[in-house]
Amino acid sequence: MIELPCPLCGPRNVSEFRYAGEGGVRPDPETTTPAEWRRYLYMHRNPLGWTKENWYHGSGCRRYFSLERHTETHEIRTPDTNTDNTPLPENAGQAR
Amino acid sequence: MNGYERNGSVRNGHGSNGKRSSRYSAFSLLSHGLTKKDWPLAWRKHDLAKTYDVVIIGGGIHGLATAYYLAKNHGIQNVAVLDKGYLGGGGSGRNTAILRSNYLTPEGIRFYDRSVKLYEGLAADLNFNVMFSQRGHLTLAHNDASLRTMRWRAEVNKIQGVDSDVIDPAAIKKLVPYMDVTEEARYPILGALYHPPGGIIRHDAVVWGYARAADAYGVHMHQQTEVTGIDVSDGQVTGVQTNRGTISAPIVVNCTAGWSTLITDMAGVQTPIQTFPLQAAVTEPVRPFLDTVVVSGTLHVYVSQTDRGELVFGASVDPFASYSMRGSLEFVEGLAGHVLELMPPLHKMRLLRQWSGLCDMTPDYSPIMGPTPVDGFYVDVGWGTYGFKAGPVSGEAMAECIATQRTPEIISAFGLARFTDGELVGEKGAAAVGH
Amino acid sequence: MTQQDTRPASADGATASHRIGVQPGEVLDRTSTLDFTWNGTAHVAHPGDTIVSALAAAGVRVFSRSFKYHRPRGLLTGSFHDPGCTLQVDDEPNVRAAHRLVEAGMDVSSQNTWPSLRFDVKAANQMVGRFLAPGFYYKTFIKPQRLWPTYQKVLARFAHAGVTSPDTAEGYYDKRYAHPDVLVAGGGPAGLAAALAAAEAGARVMLVDEEHHLGGHLRWGGSRDLGALGALLERVSRSEHIEVLTNSVVLGRYDDNWVGVVQRGLPGVPERLVKARAKVLVVASGLIERPYVFAGNDLPGVMLSTAARRLINLYAVRPGQRAVVLSANAAGDAAAEDLRRAGVDVAAVVDPRRGQDIVRAHGRRGGLSAVELTDGRTIEADLLVTAVGWTTMTALLNMAGNRPSYVPDAARFVPDPLTMPDGVLATGGIVGDGSTDQLLAHGSAVGSEAARRAAARRRTRIAATPTSRAPSHDRGSPDLAVLAKTTRDGDPVSIPDLPPGAHPELFRAGTHGMVDYSEDVSSKDIISAAREGYDSAELVKRYTTVTMGTVQGKLELVNAVAVLAEATGATIAETGTTTWRPMYAPITLGALAGRSFEPVRYSPIQPWHEAHRAVPLVAGQWIRPDHYGDPAREVKAVRENVGIIDVTPIGKLDLRGPDVPQLLNQLYINKWSKLAVGRVRYGVMCAEDGVVMDDGVTGRLGEDHYLMSTTSSGAATIWEWVENWLQTEHPEWQVHVQPVTTAYASINVAGPRSRELVGRLTEGIDLSAEAFPYMNVRTGRIAGVDDCVLWRIGFTGELSYELHVPAGYGLHVWERLLEHGKDLGVKAFGVEAQRILRLEKGHLIIGQDTDGLTRAYSAGLDWAVKLDKADFAGKPELVWQQAETGGMRLVGLQPVDESIVPPEASQIVRPGSGKTLEIMGRITSSRMSPTLNRSICLGQLDASLAVAGTVVTVRLPDGRDVTAKVTEQLAHVDPSGERQQLVTDVPEAIPAGIEPPDLPRSAITPDRAVADPTPSWRFAGKPPGAPDAPVHIYDLCGLAKFGVRAASDGDLARSLGADFARTTRVEDGSLVVGSGPGEWLVLVDPARSADVHAQLESEADAAQGLASVVDLTHGRALIRLAGTRSADLLAKVCGIDFSNDITPDGSALRTSVAKLVTDIVRNDHDGVPGYLLHCERSSGTYLFHALVDAGTEFGIESVR
Repeated sequence: MIELPCPLCGPRNVSEFRYAGEGGVRPDPETTTPAEWRRYLYMHRNPLGWTKENWYHGSGCRRYFSLERHTETHEIRTPDTNTDNTPLPENAGQAR
Repeated sequence: MNGYERNGSVRNGHGSNGKRSSRYSAFSLLSHGLTKKDWPLAWRKHDLAKTYDVVIIGGGIHGLATAYYLAKNHGIQNVAVLDKGYLGGGGSGRNTAILRSNYLTPEGIRFYDRSVKLYEGLAADLNFNVMFSQRGHLTLAHNDASLRTMRWRAEVNKIQGVDSDVIDPAAIKKLVPYMDVTEEARYPILGALYHPPGGIIRHDAVVWGYARAADAYGVHMHQQTEVTGIDVSDGQVTGVQTNRGTISAPIVVNCTAGWSTLITDMAGVQTPIQTFPLQAAVTEPVRPFLDTVVVSGTLHVYVSQTDRGELVFGASVDPFASYSMRGSLEFVEGLAGHVLELMPPLHKMRLLRQWSGLCDMTPDYSPIMGPTPVDGFYVDVGWGTYGFKAGPVSGEAMAECIATQRTPEIISAFGLARFTDGELVGEKGAAAVGH
Repeated sequence: MTQQDTRPASADGATASHRIGVQPGEVLDRTSTLDFTWNGTAHVAHPGDTIVSALAAAGVRVFSRSFKYHRPRGLLTGSFHDPGCTLQVDDEPNVRAAHRLVEAGMDVSSQNTWPSLRFDVKAANQMVGRFLAPGFYYKTFIKPQRLWPTYQKVLARFAHAGVTSPDTAEGYYDKRYAHPDVLVAGGGPAGLAAALAAAEAGARVMLVDEEHHLGGHLRWGGSRDLGALGALLERVSRSEHIEVLTNSVVLGRYDDNWVGVVQRGLPGVPERLVKARAKVLVVASGLIERPYVFAGNDLPGVMLSTAARRLINLYAVRPGQRAVVLSANAAGDAAAEDLRRAGVDVAAVVDPRRGQDIVRAHGRRGGLSAVELTDGRTIEADLLVTAVGWTTMTALLNMAGNRPSYVPDAARFVPDPLTMPDGVLATGGIVGDGSTDQLLAHGSAVGSEAARRAAARRRTRIAATPTSRAPSHDRGSPDLAVLAKTTRDGDPVSIPDLPPGAHPELFRAGTHGMVDYSEDVSSKDIISAAREGYDSAELVKRYTTVTMGTVQGKLELVNAVAVLAEATGATIAETGTTTWRPMYAPITLGALAGRSFEPVRYSPIQPWHEAHRAVPLVAGQWIRPDHYGDPAREVKAVRENVGIIDVTPIGKLDLRGPDVPQLLNQLYINKWSKLAVGRVRYGVMCAEDGVVMDDGVTGRLGEDHYLMSTTSSGAATIWEWVENWLQTEHPEWQVHVQPVTTAYASINVAGPRSRELVGRLTEGIDLSAEAFPYMNVRTGRIAGVDDCVLWRIGFTGELSYELHVPAGYGLHVWERLLEHGKDLGVKAFGVEAQRILRLEKGHLIIGQDTDGLTRAYSAGLDWAVKLDKADFAGKPELVWQQAETGGMRLVGLQPVDESIVPPEASQIVRPGSGKTLEIMGRITSSRMSPTLNRSICLGQLDASLAVAGTVVTVRLPDGRDVTAKVTEQLAHVDPSGERQQLVTDVPEAIPAGIEPPDLPRSAITPDRAVADPTPSWRFAGKPPGAPDAPVHIYDLCGLAKFGVRAASDGDLARSLGADFARTTRVEDGSLVVGSGPGEWLVLVDPARSADVHAQLESEADAAQGLASVVDLTHGRALIRLAGTRSADLLAKVCGIDFSNDITPDGSALRTSVAKLVTDIVRNDHDGVPGYLLHCERSSGTYLFHALVDAGTEFGIESVR
């Protein structure tokens, strides 16, 4: 179960999200050609390596967002994951 | 390219007699047992030749079958099959080896039915027991929408001459005593599509059988040989580069699965493929109790039992695109849950091992076969989760396509152009209606 | 031996007890005994005995027969992984009997032996063994092909292993999530030290060991080892931060340190799957002793040194009478000592370190009889103990991406430090060797480093989690202060070297023997496979099945690689190993499945349906009434008088904002700009590929207020589709979407007398045809219930009104309709009757009359497609499709023989070339029409035939052909649509004595009114009379709930005062929950509901920009958990880390609970942890029961 860093909710299990794919710019329906439109509908870059893709946090904040994921290692790149070094808050550990 | 026979074996002169390796039979087995003499190599090792008439990328069932039929049916023997790993190490060795032809569309049914026919004669043809066991295939329906789809498939199957019919829960219970067919089930079983000719096979045996038979015709199999580039000049393929050197060839065939995009990218051909892992798992053996293959689309699970007694499970592809074959815990959790929905008494069985393969999914759940905008560069890709079923017929059709320079009717629906033409194949229609 | 020692019943070949005197490290409780049976004969064990130790004590040597040759097999490793000790226990197959403890009454039997363990017919295979070479099957049974199935049936008889039973009762297993800072896999000395060091640094540690006791090899060591172990265990027991899981195993490490642990033998559940998100994983899984390959190495009586030492020191069992010890290391030497101490006559110690070796073992009567040495001697012995080296258990590291490398001097693989991921560390035997002190020192250092890394990861996590932004006053804690101190400088802890000790490379003696015991693969098999060309590790594995058996390669992989290397002339390093895949150890399907979490949804009217014997229809998550006995009569009631149907599952979205018309124009293929207030319109949605996706009506309730309906199956998809357009394509549009599907109970009242019936219950709405025409919407009071929405639409084709009633009053209105419609002949009808009615009317069902490729024109929706709109989803494809001729068309069909109903999916055919048939279409819907008294259909038909009057051939499933005629319209009944325009008198609206029930029904117990939540939700103290319990559960559905949307930085946001993911308590006791970005849920005592609603409305009106308030009181089920164990309960159904630092009091989050999207609010009182959980109404019962079930182990009490 990989984790995805939801920009709003923080790290969550991937099962809370729906994969929305590489996406792409929607051609202007007025002027588009079958070739262009169907490339938008069907074609994929499908890279082995880093890819930019969209996700929908359906079980959480219900927002669409994009991230960069490595399609083999599942590493995820996001704008710097703010490591805070202040001491931890009180009464950590399971609620009792 | 009508000079194939001439250029073929003659130039590289490896003989075309199918008799090189000693034949397998009960008798030869006995004599080898007595004399303790080693068996000859199933296939020989070769240096990389400078040039081949046809270079096939991918040493799985599709690549090997294509090579075999090129040599056998069309006399084209100066052929190399390249694999970056070992033979059958990809989808061919990772699938759950289920065979069936009860598809939805006439084009799909005709195609897969031919495949089953070839499988039925394969052991004799290859002189290698591929252990095809036509034990029957059940596709369960848990709601009236999927029951309607099962009937739809059954009716089209019958018209196409394929043995399929819809059976009721009582008949299902007879075939699979462990099955929960009660109405109390969370996903009650309303019926099933029963397909007697469907069954399972020993997938590795198919790969090895084709390799051994192709080797007998002089085809070169190069393992640990990774293609790093494809040479194209003025829209015509001229050869491939590999980690073991460059090969020149007028025909290059992409028979890879999982990594097909990497190869088509090398040739500058764009496809609508997205790669998803498909996971599978196997239990410890128990005394055989399950004779048929059981599939539930609603529960995304399929189950069969090997002669060794292991239950082999498969499911639908992972929820997001990936090239990872590490597998996931959530997969086996869901799988076990769904298996027990169907057969509750099995909860004490233990899962032994899980693994993954990579599937090249297309928008219409159908393959992409034939020529591409690049002359001499052919594709046999986009095999999704059903490539193994189609191995023999794909090899036969691709071989004909390459040898005759004409796309055989049986694969005419599967051309790359269909996506820009908006002529998608209807198998997805079934999927969409199914659940 | 003392008197209370076990006296074995006479078991196979057992003569006298092999149990010796009490051992210092023994695990037996000699004060009592347990009875069990072995192959039908009675046996006795002490508590603490494994099945195998008890049988070995009774002198049993043979436990099973091997897979292929049916050779007798005995005890080899004496551990979980013992291939020969896999037995059947009652109806459980493949039990690891050298690990499973004896329980009273167990019925244990050997597997795969016929007719008996001692005389096994299939053992004849041994004779023909030389012919059963690898690939045997591939080389024969080839011709005739048709005989293969027969061969196969015979071969299947030889299938190994135990039996299952179709009568086995359903299992009840368990799961939970865990969020340890450090998870230590392996409780040997290094693992123990790592756990202690990490815990002392303030980390929360989970320590897992496969054995029933911690300590690893120290347990069978000498007194110094036992002393050291005692001290470690003492410290562990004192540590608050270490959770110890014994008889448990880490089954796999997955991406992002998602670690699966299976706990065995718990009270109530046979196995429990723990899913741990470990911040750091410490792998201390140690070494497994490697068998030696030589002729006869699988004879009963040949065992590993660790097996002998376990038997003697843990179970006080003498392994044999006369022993030869092959010892290449200290473990072997120690084993020799133990044997002597146990009274075994050690006839010879053969020491490869001094150039000595054995050649083969001889057997007699299914057991070892003598050992042949290289020096020519042959020594009589019934026991051969081998100690020739170790296999590193790197499986978990491999799963983490580590590629171990082979060290020839140590004769084993070791992890590669360079490819070790940041979240994974290793210690103990898998790293190297050393004295106990050196192992402890290494373990401690690794433990401290693990704690340091975990602390950094935890800080990062807290910083990234909005719920954790607790007020500053609760900061700073004792143990975490320690943690902060030890890691202030953040320098990595330096870890001492632990190099693997030198060891001779010993894999195979001069002779050939078993490599894979569970698969019966010999070294000779591997060599001949390699000579046939199956010469890579993967190919030889697949060809010979070596390492593919139930031991999963743990014992045999390295030997296999060594033999393969020998055959190919490559080195072991070059040959490499195959990949270790999960499971590390086999785990039951039951544990993986856990409890079934499959949300089910019910309408608030369900109690009535059940009481009236509705036949249930499972429609996805919804359980709906299919019919109440006679669908045809239900149809007639609607056509002739009036019927009512519960259509609550119809998807409903509340849409607010000035840009809703633009949104509707984008979503639907038809036009929406000019929809007036009070009007509704039918619309169809296509996906971007032009394929028909969903349909429904949308009504305009107010200037900027719309209610959209979708199909019930499409509800979730369409909501997400709408959000997609709003968030990604048109973020500039001002629209608020709120799903209200289950905020309303929806009732369709249909039939010529529907106006009369509805009129009897309605106040404040003029129902006359002219005041309330077809395709209009009104809001008002029905049966005394305010805020009802009425749609005048007609899916059935009759005059009909769709009533959307606040859900808590749904049952009330339903019952009033039946009560006040008696004289009108009102009748409830179900989904089947509705299907018939809509088919008579020719209304299509998307997904049934269309499929995954059906574009709008093929669905007969030409009239709806408005290509002159600038844009809408799927427009380009429809533009092109319109230009095409051909393809499929949806048509009405009537079989010429009125009595024949062609089953749905019957194919429409015409003769093709030769004897073949050409498929021209199919029947998509078909029924016998009770109204027309004839069969009617809809079908997809090739455009060339889709002309009214055309007669087509339909092939029935039974093979008969019948003819059917294409009709003028899709509608078979009332094509001109007069019935739904029917004008009838409106009764005087006299709602005689119709009063609303004072309280709405609860979403959790729909047969009961909501409890008054006021006493129980704001205070920790449970209501008087409620029993004490570690966790209480309350039904709080009675609370008023308001959903608010507004700019997250506006005035309204400031006055609400709760940030996203946090809550604020208002003076009047209301709770404001920051449930989403720019979204709030306000929870209010019912008494204050009206005031708060009004106040919120006015603030919303005053707010800058778009702000909206939706009453969700009826739309959501609300549950409260309170008590000391409530977080532990939630950990069983929810993956969120409920630690106080991640999810402190005042947290608000939305996540998945028991596979259901649920909002969770941490709401403590007087230091007692509590949680509010709410979900959409129809799943309330499901969620409540899932929580109660999860709480049973804690003794949960339900409070009303």
